[in-house]
Amino acid sequence: MHEFSLALEVIDLARREVEKNKAGMIKEITIEVGDLSGVDSDAFESALGLLIKESILNRAKVNIVRVPGKGRCNSCAYDFEMNHRTATCPKCLCFPSQISGGDEFRVVSLLVE
Amino acid sequence: MCDTCGCSEEDEFKIHDPNHDHHHQPEHHEHEHDHKHGHHHNHESDHDHNHGHDHGHSHSHVHAHDLDGAGHAHTHDHPNQKVITLNMDILSENNKLAQLNRRFFEGRKVLCLNLVSSPGSGKTSILEKTIKAMIKRNKIAVIEGDQQTLLDADRIEKSGAPAIQINTGSGCHLDARMIELALQKLEVEFGSILFIENVGNLVCPAMFDLGEFKRVVVISVTEGEDKPLKYPYMFQSSHLCLINKSDLLPYVDFDTDKAINYARSLNPNLEFILVSAKTGEGMEKWYEWLGNALRLHSGPGSRS
Repeated sequence: MHEFSLALEVIDLARREVEKNKAGMIKEITIEVGDLSGVDSDAFESALGLLIKESILNRAKVNIVRVPGKGRCNSCAYDFEMNHRTATCPKCLCFPSQISGGDEFRVVSLLVE
Repeated sequence: MCDTCGCSEEDEFKIHDPNHDHHHQPEHHEHEHDHKHGHHHNHESDHDHNHGHDHGHSHSHVHAHDLDGAGHAHTHDHPNQKVITLNMDILSENNKLAQLNRRFFEGRKVLCLNLVSSPGSGKTSILEKTIKAMIKRNKIAVIEGDQQTLLDADRIEKSGAPAIQINTGSGCHLDARMIELALQKLEVEFGSILFIENVGNLVCPAMFDLGEFKRVVVISVTEGEDKPLKYPYMFQSSHLCLINKSDLLPYVDFDTDKAINYARSLNPNLEFILVSAKTGEGMEKWYEWLGNALRLHSGPGSRS
């Protein structure tokens, strides 16, 4: 995939927010990576770790929070933990299900000084 | 550089001006994209001049009563620290630009279609045939995406439509900003059809909205009927699936019904047309679909 370019987006986003808030140094950044987001959490974390060294995030602790996938069965409306987009409903074994959680890929917050 | 696919943003992408002769020394005619929107490639080190307090530990405890009026939390231990709550989708910048592209297309009544597929499924061949069949009655333009070469844009221009080539370097997908920049160089006429032929890749383009009206995923019968199950994001985000190379069905083990059922299980609204760009089979249905899409997007009077 291209977790490298996604990491660059995060650094850009952090820089824009620091400017907007006239903040100082970023001490911590918290990012949610949903299991169904299409983003490889480990590859993303590696890419970000490499790239922040020369960026506004170079002093920041990176918190990657994985969010489990959640689905709601289209047939019986059962809510269940979904570990991939093509999972069948554990209750009625039908397919497909609507994704109700775990597809986020977002910066939750920055801790600045 | 991404150690999974080798993709790197440090290679600048190039947009090739269509008005220059592609057939000679293409390097002389390359125009670097301007840096007006250059924040993506802006790799200057953001030097931290605030070498403030390094407390040597990274955890700060935030309590609810520490929130100031603006919802920023201040910590007990470090009163100068605050939490900026964002909950911001990381791809929001691309999505914002994509929406601007979409409004542009709506304003000019341009039907924009994003063609996606793995390499070699026949996107360019389908476009060549489509242009030859429709260019007399419709204005058509094409944005081509490949890592390197002007080969596809050349083929499109030979078919009779203007084309602009984006070379992504080692990039693996087109994004909304590249399209916005291409539109500054490519004349897209009122009421026309704009095809975007994305980089051959069934993975990454799924995540990047370009501002298209509809997304068309192309698979060929030589690829295996389980393709939709292997690349769910792409099939879930598309509106039409063209199954190409139908002329080869007698020679391959491709169960068309199975492929359609697999894809429909992921996306019940996905439409399908079986075609052969080589023999022309099924292409009339595709042209009809295009005509309907044009009317739907641009209104009844949009045929030129």
